[in-house]
Amino acid sequence: MNSRPARSASRSSAAAASESRTAGTPNESDALALFDDFAPPPVQEPARSQGRARRPASQSDEPGLSPEFAISVATLTLATRDILEGAVEPLWIRGEVVGFKEHRKGHWYFTLKDADAQIRCVMWATDARRALASPDEGMTITALGKLTVFPARGELQLRILRIETSGDGLWQKAFEKVRKKLEAEGLFSAERKRPLPMLPGCVAVVTSTDGAALHDIVSVVHRRCPITRVVVAHASVQGEGAAASIVTALHRVARWGQADVVILGRGGGSREDLWAFNDERVVRAAAGMPIPVISAVGHEVDVTLCDLSADLRAATPSAAAEAAVPRLTDLVRHIKSLGAELRDAAVAQVESARERLADAGVAAWRAASHPIERRRLALEGIAGRLHALSPLATLARGYAVLTSVDGSPLTSVESVTAGDAFVARLPDGRIHARTERTESLDKETGE
Amino acid sequence: MSFEKKVQRLEEIVRALESKDMSLDKGLKLFEEGIACLRDASTELTKAEAAVQVLRERTDGILEATDLRA
Repeated sequence: MNSRPARSASRSSAAAASESRTAGTPNESDALALFDDFAPPPVQEPARSQGRARRPASQSDEPGLSPEFAISVATLTLATRDILEGAVEPLWIRGEVVGFKEHRKGHWYFTLKDADAQIRCVMWATDARRALASPDEGMTITALGKLTVFPARGELQLRILRIETSGDGLWQKAFEKVRKKLEAEGLFSAERKRPLPMLPGCVAVVTSTDGAALHDIVSVVHRRCPITRVVVAHASVQGEGAAASIVTALHRVARWGQADVVILGRGGGSREDLWAFNDERVVRAAAGMPIPVISAVGHEVDVTLCDLSADLRAATPSAAAEAAVPRLTDLVRHIKSLGAELRDAAVAQVESARERLADAGVAAWRAASHPIERRRLALEGIAGRLHALSPLATLARGYAVLTSVDGSPLTSVESVTAGDAFVARLPDGRIHARTERTESLDKETGE
Repeated sequence: MSFEKKVQRLEEIVRALESKDMSLDKGLKLFEEGIACLRDASTELTKAEAAVQVLRERTDGILEATDLRA
């Protein structure tokens, strides 16, 4: 409590001093009041300091120690800057952002303040580029900054190297910014989603060859569908350079052109670890793939932008592999049952044709009252169709149809003589054959 | 034709043969085509087991897939 009277005394003397110097500009006196702990010394300081000088007058030719050797303002501020920069390590500072401005070259200028104080901050473009997003007005951030002096204005300044928010602020802002942009371009629209191939001959995986994700994917694919090739295009999936590395790997898969589907992902991680999957370049590369993309960024809670642009989002790498390939045994069963259906359907067609012919035959006999010639023609037509009918039924049971080389059916041994070529038609192809000899059945005995 | 296309065609053929009466000549042609699809699809399912490979870019820019553990 002792310091209070002393401080108010110093404040009033500072105010008096500033008033006497600036002919009463109340604004400046208010501004100075903010920094009352750093009140400027009284105006008669030079006289007093001369009186206090510990060195003999003969040594006062050192810079700044006598009126003759007065130093320039620049020398003072630059010297102050050097002393400050040398004395204070970079520090983490928490404060509220006010007056944020972005220079056209990418430098950020703002003030960090709290209830009692403020300090001007600058973040050079090279550092600002690495930040997730620019802070919003009024956002509370923690910033790593190096204390310095801005000589042109004689101001104390923080050169900010990194910024973070205590909550989700910057992450959310950076995410939303890219999401809105890509959404407007239609990268996440449902119409862009492509179906996955039924049986991919080759699954490409873009992930780290050292990660657990690859192991999970390989073992699931191998268990479900061992005939599918797995080809991994290595990418570092976290840390500096992850985004560029993923983009390169995706492009490699696209250029290679032999994969039927690509799984992009990693096995979980913190939000920082997964951040590359929200990088605009990565999302664009994934969305531009010529083959369907399954995202497998193993994080249930946070959806990444790659998840939104992928043709399918899987919760884990294993789930992605299950979506990518069918169970081979299921496929074999399906093909077998299709084969059975095909044979049944062919037989049913023949049966149905037989019935139609029988009906047509009845109709033809009913036409018996018509002139003889018409009746004969009708019967010939039916006979011809009946004749054509039989091979299909027998083919389906494993017999062959014989035709001459020009395709006309062989209906009698009279159609060929020894040495003539003919064709045997089977369900899956033809046999080209030659007649050795012919033999007619005895019409009476059928032998 | 991809495996998927073959299976789709086979399913179409079965549906066509099942659902509508057609000329025997057309039926026979479809049946033969169906058998061919069936044979090709079955062949694909009996391929040898595939190894895990890594896609690498050679210094001359050519991409090649080589066995992971090699």
